[in-house]
Amino acid sequence: MSSHHISSNFTLFGVAGALLVLTFLTVAVTWINIPEPFNIIVAIAIAVVKAALVAMFFMNLYWDTKFNTVVFLLSILFLIIFVSITLLDTMFRDAGLPVY
Amino acid sequence: MGNQIAEAEKPAHLQHHFVDSDQQFESSKFGMWIFLVTEVLMFGGLFVAYIIYRSWHPDLFYLAAKELDTALGATNTVVLIASSLTIALAIRAVQLDKIKAAINYMAATVALAGTFMVIKYFEYTDKFAKGIFPGAGYTYDGIAHDMAANFFSIYYMMTGLHGIHVVVGMGLITWMIIKAKKGSVHSGYYTPVENTGLFWHLVDIIWIFLFPLLYLID
Repeated sequence: MSSHHISSNFTLFGVAGALLVLTFLTVAVTWINIPEPFNIIVAIAIAVVKAALVAMFFMNLYWDTKFNTVVFLLSILFLIIFVSITLLDTMFRDAGLPVY
Repeated sequence: MGNQIAEAEKPAHLQHHFVDSDQQFESSKFGMWIFLVTEVLMFGGLFVAYIIYRSWHPDLFYLAAKELDTALGATNTVVLIASSLTIALAIRAVQLDKIKAAINYMAATVALAGTFMVIKYFEYTDKFAKGIFPGAGYTYDGIAHDMAANFFSIYYMMTGLHGIHVVVGMGLITWMIIKAKKGSVHSGYYTPVENTGLFWHLVDIIWIFLFPLLYLID
């Protein structure tokens, strides 16, 4: 099993350090008032970068067979389809906001 | 049967239906990724609920998020990132046959997960004391919005399902500590530790999204 990638301590601590910096950043951007909807976009963008770092270097997708990455990205694709098609209904109802 | 290992030199962990250890490892890991896909889609349903309610009542989310303690949420984010680091270090230690170090790193991960749950317990009890319960149990009148209970129903479902995953993860990692102590995982066979690590990192990724979406609405 010598073919398995073994991450160096430098990589693991580096990724954790980057995640902590991004966590601070995502809190810090709320101190300045970014107008809607850009505050949500910035928050999600930082979260996506953090999630990508975890998936690539902690979950080893970067060194793995690319098929695992494809499988994971497919779940994101189907989540996007789930969200968009539902919003196509809920965002465009003529009767106004529901009572719940 | 040219590429099959002769019966005599077959390692103990190798199941008979795999060609070699590498194929067994890759198949198991692929199965774990399929499971993680179902996890993403299970949480996905809750994220869809969140997105629809936020698009209907943006003012509610702005008001209600003020009830959540950003400092505690940020602390828990740091705790989970640290736990992701320790489980990654544990896997590295197993790969290098440093079993003692791996056990220590896994114990640290369980401790960090416990810290997360303790902080979550204080957050929940603080809200229960104010009458902030999910659904019909909601009696708090500090938020001037008719739909206030809905935000907290979503909050409790998302953080609650995530919390259940943290507890399950603690159980799995404890199981891996027992396996490591028995000597059944080592550099030649660490598939269960690897897959537990994948599960734990996914729990971290979900919190990475929950934190800004619930606590950081300004």
